[in-house]
Amino acid sequence: MPNLREIRRRIKSVKNTRQITKAMELVAASKMKKAQQSALSGQPYAALLAETLSHISTRIEELEHPFFEEREVKNRGIILVTTNRGLCGPLNSNLFREILRAETPMKFVSVGRKGRQFLSRSDRDLMADFVIDDAVPYVQIKQMTEFMIDKFLSGKIDTVEVLYPRFINVLTQAQSFAKLLPIHGLDEMITELRGKDAEPFESTKDNRNFSFEPDPKSILNSLLPLFVDRQAYQAVLSARASEHSARMVAMKTAKDNATKLIDSLTLQFNKARQAAITQEILEIAAATSSNS
Amino acid sequence: MKLEIVIPKGRVYEDTIDSIVVPTSSGEINILPGHIPLVTEVEPGGIIVSKSGEKQFLAISKGFAQCLGDKISILAEDAIHMDEIDESAVEDAQKRAEESLATIEKMSDEEIVMLETQVAYAQAQILVKKKKS
Repeated sequence: MPNLREIRRRIKSVKNTRQITKAMELVAASKMKKAQQSALSGQPYAALLAETLSHISTRIEELEHPFFEEREVKNRGIILVTTNRGLCGPLNSNLFREILRAETPMKFVSVGRKGRQFLSRSDRDLMADFVIDDAVPYVQIKQMTEFMIDKFLSGKIDTVEVLYPRFINVLTQAQSFAKLLPIHGLDEMITELRGKDAEPFESTKDNRNFSFEPDPKSILNSLLPLFVDRQAYQAVLSARASEHSARMVAMKTAKDNATKLIDSLTLQFNKARQAAITQEILEIAAATSSNS
Repeated sequence: MKLEIVIPKGRVYEDTIDSIVVPTSSGEINILPGHIPLVTEVEPGGIIVSKSGEKQFLAISKGFAQCLGDKISILAEDAIHMDEIDESAVEDAQKRAEESLATIEKMSDEEIVMLETQVAYAQAQILVKKKKS
């Protein structure tokens, strides 16, 4: 028979756990709202940027820029966006599985403590680690992409991709690769960013020649890095929204489990208490009957 | 002619207009309907939008403008309508940015460029505000 005091102590500790998980759920929920907001509000900007770029790329015949150059892929450059803290369900391990599955050699840049730990533990080619604050300052992203662009141009890596948990809705986050370099497939990206309800994207209505101020080259030179930065920025924002919603869901499950556990422990406690009382009555009855 | 102004925070302006004056890296340009397709760099400054005889003033930060067909799209780091400009807040922001620029040795190039843009944008906002009042 389990000890009454022991059961009581367990109930108390589970109650404490439930309180903590409940608090964490609420914190994650409010952070998620903010993160989701900033992830969504950046979309029109990214769409217009892609659109402008697409117009330019179809209009310039001698479009020669290293960012468009497709090479044979010997080394993939991956920016792995993970969380700093745990307790967010399978979010990070899903990303790691994606890495374990890949066949082409990869070189990594990590964002987030969990990713860094995984990469050094599994002995992979970690080029650099970038710390990005909770507020996701644009400057920090820029430094990171500049590092990657540099490696890409010098030929150390042949693609630049971001591996991150893409935010779909509160319950689903899909691990996905966002290809930053080389740039291609602009049209699909635009359609996706604009959403289903927007008018289909068309690039040829006005067939007159484009003019560029000051000149095509300098426009491309400032537009292309901006585009890459924005893509990376958007991915990190989306990853942050995913993190908070995954944590909220994980904490909600933990809270529900704790409630269930408390219920069953309380039942067990009452049973034990009742058994003890019955036992006592039996003993008293037995004592009085033997006395008389 | 349609005009849309989009900044990272979202779409700030969307309307049908008659003409627009945009500050670019090679001077201010006036875009009227039927303009040839154009892509240009936008410098921090003031935008003047004319719509059925009325003029609207906006301040804008660094970005790009694209004119294609009957549509002008402006992509900027920030933009604000004249009525929403809060002069004292802008002056504070300018002061803060300039103060951080004073400690220039400690900063990376990106940060410097960003702060300089902020100062230019703040100046543009003040100019736009003063022009009207």
